Amino acid sequence: MSDAARPDAARPGAARPFGARPIYFDYAATTPVDARVAAYMAECLTRDGTFGNPGSRSHAEGERAHEAVEAARRQVAAAVGAAPADVVWTSGATEANNLAIFGVALQARTRGRHIITCKTEHKAVLDPCRELERRGWSVTYLAPSARGRLDPARLAAALRPDTVLVSVMHVNNEIGVIQDVAGLATLVARHGTARMHVDAAQSVGKCPIDFAGAGIDLMSLSAHKAYGPKGAGALLVSAARGVELEPLQYGGGQERSLRSGTVATHQVVGMGAAFALAAADAAPESAESLRLAALRERLWDGIRVLGATFRNGEPSDCVPQLLNVSFGDVEGESLLAAVQDELAVSTGSACTSSLGEPSYVLRALGRDERLAEASLRLSFGRFSTAADVDHAIMVIGHAVLRLRSIGGLCATAN
Amino acid sequence: MRYSELTRRYFESGIGAGVLTGPAVGRGAAGSRAGGTWVQFDIAIACDIAAATATAARETRIGAARFLAFACPHTIAAAAWLVEWSVGKSCIAALPESVHEIAERFEIPIEKLGRLLIVEDAWLAAGRAAISLSARGITMS
Repeated sequence: MSDAARPDAARPGAARPFGARPIYFDYAATTPVDARVAAYMAECLTRDGTFGNPGSRSHAEGERAHEAVEAARRQVAAAVGAAPADVVWTSGATEANNLAIFGVALQARTRGRHIITCKTEHKAVLDPCRELERRGWSVTYLAPSARGRLDPARLAAALRPDTVLVSVMHVNNEIGVIQDVAGLATLVARHGTARMHVDAAQSVGKCPIDFAGAGIDLMSLSAHKAYGPKGAGALLVSAARGVELEPLQYGGGQERSLRSGTVATHQVVGMGAAFALAAADAAPESAESLRLAALRERLWDGIRVLGATFRNGEPSDCVPQLLNVSFGDVEGESLLAAVQDELAVSTGSACTSSLGEPSYVLRALGRDERLAEASLRLSFGRFSTAADVDHAIMVIGHAVLRLRSIGGLCATAN
Repeated sequence: MRYSELTRRYFESGIGAGVLTGPAVGRGAAGSRAGGTWVQFDIAIACDIAAATATAARETRIGAARFLAFACPHTIAAAAWLVEWSVGKSCIAALPESVHEIAERFEIPIEKLGRLLIVEDAWLAAGRAAISLSARGITMS
């Protein structure tokens, strides 16, 4: 007789203080606001600070707020190679994606009603596209290669005379693969009739972005992925390229009449400050990029020895902050449950219901349903340490071996 | 997903996970790993004078039980609980509670009842196999 998983088995993390919060490995989902950013934001909230309405420039309070908003606009633009006039503030990347997709589709509806995107896009792009399909537009969803990159030849083949928009994300949120958006934008520009939109919510501080240099028409940005506040984002709308959009909301005419509503000074000031700080980390040769890449490889080296582990995304194609691994012979929900007391990670299953659906991104890369479910996304950030990574290796190793043992797929868990 | 205290306890302990070997072990399995849920039970009948009687099937007792599961935490917890509960109990091809009662005990969402049916199928198959062995006079030594 053999006991596969003894109840008295030593649990990992015993050395950590009782009740300690799980170690955070979900920086791709959101980041904590940088303390310096929070301080700048706080200065915009109270009577002693820059609390005025940036649209009320008939007095000093409004003028000060306007100047703060414009300074933030310059910071955001500088971080991504855009002109300040390109920046349209939004509540986040989801709103920016909606404004880009619906804005172009509605503005160009008499010229054409065809949109191209990729199967591995974020839901904030896919769902607006599906809504447009319901309203009569035609959408082509391109499949990426097994490495997660979009083949330019596939995009070229999909372009039609009535194509009005191509939307491709820069850095994939699940696997961290960086698309060659400059190359794709060149191809789209050559085609002539379509606009190129890039969802760059995951990009700032992780890899270089050159909005103007890449010839991109529209780009969505998010503050909270880069140590800024939630509820702040921007859509870059290239003024130089003459991009025109139909607005989705009316009233006040703020933001070139593309996004009416009082600009939230503290939010955009936070976004500007966060982007200014993050931009220095974006270069692949920056100290922070190299440190995070080393942590990622340390984690992978510690995990791969478990066997039947599959890395999703080639490291040379990916940002250094993210590792996505599928585990063979392990059930996905149990894997997450077995590690979640110790590690804050994301899973390959969208747990919006009790029966989580396997990740559509991993499925699009060719992972089978079980492997897509049994995947963990671990993303690193400014506060990640080698000790955190070593703890994660221990926790994940224990969980995988124990679950494989309970599943009758290896001899012993302990 | 949030799990009940009981679910967490049985899932984390994995009590009763493993296999039994020997001639007196009845084994039953249901589901599939490819389908996302697979459960196997081993039941060993205890040596009992009653085993020689005509009513052996109803009076034989479970001497040991183990489970294996490629499954979600709720399913693993239910299988572990079942194995723990069963030792010393009469071996009958039935669950001690209905699937709905077990779901209530572990606060298992209704969408997952199908997984409990897999637990039930595996348990019934193992029970029938054990009873069959017992009827032939084969018990744990």
